[in-house]
Amino acid sequence: MKILLITEQRDRKWNKVSFEALAAAQQIATQANGTVSGVVIGQGVATLADELATYELTEVLLVENALLEKYTPDGFSIALKQVIEQAKPDLVIFPHTYQVRDFAPKLAASISKGMIGDCVGYRNEGGKLIFVRQMFQGRTAADVVFQGDGPWIASFQAGAFRADTAAKKQGGKAPVKPASVELKAEQVRTKPLELFREAKQAVDLTQAPVLVSIGRGIRAPENIPLAEKLAKALGAELSASRPICDEGWLPMERQIGSSGQTVSPKLYLALGISGAIQHVVGMKGSRCIVAINKDQNAPIFEIADYGVVGDLFEIVPALTEEIEKSKPA
Amino acid sequence: MRRARVCAEASATMTSMPVEREKLEADVLIVGAGPAGLACALRLSQLIEQNSAGGKTPAISAENIYVLEKARELGAHQLSGAIMDPCALRELVPDFEKSAPLDTPVTGDAAYFLSETGSWKLPITPPPLQNHGNYVVSLNRLTKWLGGLVEKAGVNIFTQFAGASLIYEGKGIAGVITEDKGVDKNGKPKDNFTPGYELRSKITVLAEGPRGSLTKNLVNQLHLDGLNPQVYGIGIKELWDVQPGRIETGYVAHTLGWPLDSHKYGGGWIYGLRDNRVSLGMVMGLEYKDSLFDPHEAFQKFKTHPFVRKILEGGKLVRYGAKTVPYGGWYSMPQSCVDGGLIVGDSASLLNSQRLKGIHTAIKSGMLAAEAIYEAMATGDASAKALNAYQNKLEASWVKKELWEVRNFHQGFHDGLWPGLFNAGLQFVSGGRGLTDPARCRPGYQDFRRLERPRELTDQSTRFKGDGTLTFNRLTDVYHSGTRHEEDQPCHLVVSDTSICADRCIREYGNPCQYYCPAAVYEMVLEGGQPKLKINASNCVHCKTCDIADPYQIVNWVPPEGGGGPNYEGM
Repeated sequence: MKILLITEQRDRKWNKVSFEALAAAQQIATQANGTVSGVVIGQGVATLADELATYELTEVLLVENALLEKYTPDGFSIALKQVIEQAKPDLVIFPHTYQVRDFAPKLAASISKGMIGDCVGYRNEGGKLIFVRQMFQGRTAADVVFQGDGPWIASFQAGAFRADTAAKKQGGKAPVKPASVELKAEQVRTKPLELFREAKQAVDLTQAPVLVSIGRGIRAPENIPLAEKLAKALGAELSASRPICDEGWLPMERQIGSSGQTVSPKLYLALGISGAIQHVVGMKGSRCIVAINKDQNAPIFEIADYGVVGDLFEIVPALTEEIEKSKPA
Repeated sequence: MRRARVCAEASATMTSMPVEREKLEADVLIVGAGPAGLACALRLSQLIEQNSAGGKTPAISAENIYVLEKARELGAHQLSGAIMDPCALRELVPDFEKSAPLDTPVTGDAAYFLSETGSWKLPITPPPLQNHGNYVVSLNRLTKWLGGLVEKAGVNIFTQFAGASLIYEGKGIAGVITEDKGVDKNGKPKDNFTPGYELRSKITVLAEGPRGSLTKNLVNQLHLDGLNPQVYGIGIKELWDVQPGRIETGYVAHTLGWPLDSHKYGGGWIYGLRDNRVSLGMVMGLEYKDSLFDPHEAFQKFKTHPFVRKILEGGKLVRYGAKTVPYGGWYSMPQSCVDGGLIVGDSASLLNSQRLKGIHTAIKSGMLAAEAIYEAMATGDASAKALNAYQNKLEASWVKKELWEVRNFHQGFHDGLWPGLFNAGLQFVSGGRGLTDPARCRPGYQDFRRLERPRELTDQSTRFKGDGTLTFNRLTDVYHSGTRHEEDQPCHLVVSDTSICADRCIREYGNPCQYYCPAAVYEMVLEGGQPKLKINASNCVHCKTCDIADPYQIVNWVPPEGGGGPNYEGM
């Protein structure tokens, strides 16, 4: 059995899961009396190919092209299709990374072959390869087999194999062979921009010493700046009860209560929050609770240290103004 | 982690599909891990064992039986009073008394008629309410225990997975598609999006409890309605820890009368459990004229009656829940066998509304279904004709005998309590026949009287608030149901045309969804001066009342993302 192992790098740095997939490929090959060839794909990645060559491999194929400098699903799948057609493997193994999730199904479809993604293991039963995938959120494992002839494509989940079990070459190195691929600029339909990481949750309400929290009493999203101004004056974060986030007036990470965050700031200002138990369980540990609500029977007043029965649209602007005034110029 | 011996086959698909689902194949797929579904699974595993012990090759293996359950964990959506007649469980697990979590045997029973301040004990407890030999149980705990036996037998139970839709094939069904996970409120996939599985099965058993969403669809699609439509009640329950000495362990009381007037069907219960715990609640027919009637409020008032108050005073609310009850009985039973499918338990209308018991009939129906399924699998014939053995077994069993005697019971109460009691008496002496047989009924929502009010929101500021110690508002009670849902998901209460709510219902019925829902899910609000329906889906306790009671039948309850819903620990 001939196995092709496709590694992953970005900016000439390994994605370490590649070596876990390498370990998997080596183990499958050992049991099936097969061979493993490694593939490094990108541009200017010869040093990585040299490094990969120190592992127990038949050869390392170096796939380089200026259009492969940055990852694109078109570029990578078109190039790897040609590599597969040249090398004629029985099995192609990938580490199951986000990038692989993005293009490997496309690659499989382009060669009209099946793919088993996100495997956690395999078994060799009398020469028949059975791949194991988790189903039902890990409650059960399914055995999956390929139908028809290879090349088959499989990817292994991170953590399924240990990278340090990947075998090194005993003496010498595997030969590094360039694999030529033809790629035209017009075939690559996507244009990679700057890489970015989605900003982490911008606010951590649990760390805020002061929270200005709004409820249904705020009535409309147009009125939220009123509370924002007060929050700014107090150096506070803005939070809300469920209905506000449910309406999409504030993002869900600003929700306080049983289905949101639990907070215990020094000061909690509840504006137009009635104080249903679902909200109260998320903020009752606050050091000082100030509630403004026009309904004097609102349950929020039962736990408030200071309660104001009145119209928040009158009180909040006045309060903001007073706080601004009291600040040292 | 259990290994399913499934060989899904991966092959290239060149057709472009919107969502490619993973496929799994099972011999038997059971939707719903309640008493009926679990009894079916356990009985199947027993038949497998008996056959292999007898040297035969079993027709199926336990590994190829799958049970789906939408709750976070086994039993979390199970709600009942509950008094259990142990006859069926004894057949299923003969030595159940050794290991089953039975709270207490019934030690004494009584029936009361309540007026606003007085209570009259009936000189004799009516025979259907005599509970000698029965057990008071927590259905939540009983289900967990039963599920444990099923898992031990090697059956796969998948909690947190719901049946979202049926796979129809020919004149029957061939499995279900589980719900998609990781979809945001606008229906867009999130980072953790996982398409539902296509679970194909030779035989699919619908054991969804009252008003199952798949059962509803199946009955409508294939026109499986019984003689009568199904009619329902809503049961609202609280569990309390009370001061010692207030009620004897094993004492069960049922009440009629206040706070319900004689035109409303229903009554209350108070059961003394072990360790000074009390189960109490009310069941009320969802067939009343006053569209602004609030069943939750009625139950809260019930607790203020001196008879109830003196038990609860000084105690503490532990848990809250609500669930519908299928009242229709034998004549509302849908045709329960189709090609590749069976309906069992409450979904099949097998509750005895006179005795207020359905756990024993649910268990028995699950067992009988298992026997029919085993035969079908052995002969390789899963057609409706072959599976009809289940119906025949039901009719030959004590289930039919018991339900036949009360076949007209509930219908007799349509015109109120007094005619109902009169009819019940007549039926009692005539073996269930009564004045008219079969007595017909219609869906309860058709009973709502039109209000013809202006197009204005009904005043919600005067709604029942409770005192916070003995009585509670709905939100506080919902909190005690432990209900939790992923907030960022599509609304699982699908209202097909909300303009009806804002234009017609508001005038014709005053938006009864704001009243019958025991979890404050539905609210009419003003948006830009215009009335609009707002659905707080994350409060939903999965009782299905809205799907049943909506006068326009435009509410469709579909399962939310698996794992969402109440947590009826100890209920």
